[in-house]
Amino acid sequence: MNAIDTAIRAAAASITVKGLTKAYDAQTVVIPPMDVELKAGEFTVVLGPSGCGKSTLLQMIAGLERVSGGKILIGAREVQDLEPKHRGCAMVFQNYALYPHMTVFENMAYSLKVAGMQKAERTERVAAVAKMLGLADYLQRKPGQLSGGQRQRVAIGRAIVREPGVLLFDEPLSNLDAQLRHDMRVELADLHRRIGATTVFVTHDQVEAMTLADRILILNKGRIEQFDTPKAIYHHPASVFVAKFIGAPPMNILSVTGDGSALRLADGQVVANAPLTGAYQLGLRPEDIVVDGKADGHAVKAKLRFREDLGSHSVLAADLGGSIVRIATPFGAEIADQLELHLNFPTSRLHLFDAATGRAIPGAFGAQ
Amino acid sequence: MIENARSLNIAASLILLVGMLYILGPLYLTLATASQSYEFLLRNGLAWYPGDQFLNNAARIFTETRIPIQMFNSLAVAFSLAIATCILSFLSAYAIVYFRIRWAGVAFALILATIMLPVDIRVITTYQVASNIFSPINALLDVTGLNGVISELFGAPVQLELSVLNTHFGLIAPLAAHGTGTFLFRQFFRTLPGDLFKAARMDGAGPVRFMFDILLPLSRTSFAALFVLTFLSGWTQYLWPLVASSTPDMQTAVVGLARLLPDSDGTVPDFPMIMAGAVIVSLVPLLMIALLQRYLVQGLVLSEK
Repeated sequence: MNAIDTAIRAAAASITVKGLTKAYDAQTVVIPPMDVELKAGEFTVVLGPSGCGKSTLLQMIAGLERVSGGKILIGAREVQDLEPKHRGCAMVFQNYALYPHMTVFENMAYSLKVAGMQKAERTERVAAVAKMLGLADYLQRKPGQLSGGQRQRVAIGRAIVREPGVLLFDEPLSNLDAQLRHDMRVELADLHRRIGATTVFVTHDQVEAMTLADRILILNKGRIEQFDTPKAIYHHPASVFVAKFIGAPPMNILSVTGDGSALRLADGQVVANAPLTGAYQLGLRPEDIVVDGKADGHAVKAKLRFREDLGSHSVLAADLGGSIVRIATPFGAEIADQLELHLNFPTSRLHLFDAATGRAIPGAFGAQ
Repeated sequence: MIENARSLNIAASLILLVGMLYILGPLYLTLATASQSYEFLLRNGLAWYPGDQFLNNAARIFTETRIPIQMFNSLAVAFSLAIATCILSFLSAYAIVYFRIRWAGVAFALILATIMLPVDIRVITTYQVASNIFSPINALLDVTGLNGVISELFGAPVQLELSVLNTHFGLIAPLAAHGTGTFLFRQFFRTLPGDLFKAARMDGAGPVRFMFDILLPLSRTSFAALFVLTFLSGWTQYLWPLVASSTPDMQTAVVGLARLLPDSDGTVPDFPMIMAGAVIVSLVPLLMIALLQRYLVQGLVLSEK
């Protein structure tokens, strides 16, 4: 741990959003009033499909987008009307946005130069960050002479050299190839562990969200669907949207009807016992379905349609009363084509959602 | 389309040869005639082979004509035009691309319209305005009826008058109002990553700082290309300098060259001297292209290296 780590850890500030809205006009409301609090030093991933308002939220925190209403507090300071440079935020952009005509050193030192820092101090600060990110040998190169991963690191270095209270990432890994993305993910996690900056990371990639986040903020059409730890989001999704968004393959969602004692599929097969009446949506993760095995739930019959062998496991797609159910099984399990499958739905793994609102109904099958 | 047929190659070469003759022929004729004496011309007409009188003819351009002072005028016009166009175009493109302005699209369309409506087309109205740059204000006062009110109150209507004809400013200003440069810079700015502006803001640089620290250094090649193109077009302008300047000391070299032809019929023009003048006048743009041709190509392909 060196000086810059400590400085950033000390600068880390919480972000509080109160009634924040963004609307371009009466019809196009990007973000309806939103309240959320991100703790100091926490790594928050904002996750959602494209157009859900996640980048807009990030840019409003950064000060690049004007807010339509509400407050943003960084630490105890109201910042929604301040210029970006007065907010103590730094940002890493999707396409790096490095200055092409400046060397790596000049890129990283630019914000310090604008702030009027003495040259000797600038050099020292940049050198410390460059060393931390493994860029010390590249300081005199131009961005055009660097690889994608190195440019990404320069962009991160440019952000943290200012010792910001808040570090913002706008889909920073989406331009990298699969291998590099994995490496950078590990590097980012490691960096956050070392410097402990309050981090807001926007992405549409659930793997990045699950692996990096302390807590994930899932947005849908500008509304918060769920804000919780990756584990809680995976095991207790708050809505059908979250259930379908997280997990690969995604959670199976089946329409069921309660007759007062049991939940039935459209073709009348019973999937669970519950004293419920009316229409519901039932969720079950592909890996929780047991094929031809013994479990504590009901068995239903389904027709196998096709299978994908992925090496670590196989994904079966089966026709269950007209809708497709995906099942993750161990690779190489002996299941012939067109076979009738007996699927066991363990009751303890079932998730029940309101058919109309899509919100989860916790405790429907006893303690979860 | 890459063909390897021999007959096609020959045909293509022939077409190329004809094209070269078409371009180089008159040039050769100019050079050859410029190196012959007036007496030779009177006896033989235009020269098809070079002589030894070029320096003599060139010297006469400097001693007997106003071409030197007119070349200075041309230089002043071309330079000022190039600089004014570069600055104006850069600033307007910066405003259009990087700021959310109401009616930015309309403004840009109007700027582009100047490409479709060059000075040559609107030369009469441009001349009217140049002869009194306040005439639009006067007309506005007349149309709105304000002048009627003013003459009631003060006894006389407002009639401002200031002519810029026969001045360097009058030669340059109408030509500088041209949209090509704005278009060039706009297209170039569009190729830059949009997050650059945001990144600079996050780094604490305001719009002015961004312009000087980031945009200006990145636009160097575009500047050079636009400068060369505008300089060349300024140097070779004929119609506007012809109508906007009335005294020989204010005319540009290209206009001056045309004026070397005698007005009266019957006399054979001193073609060797005129041709020598044409050669001398062409040297400046030639030099310009030779020095900056690298940027010309780079700037026009609009790529950032």
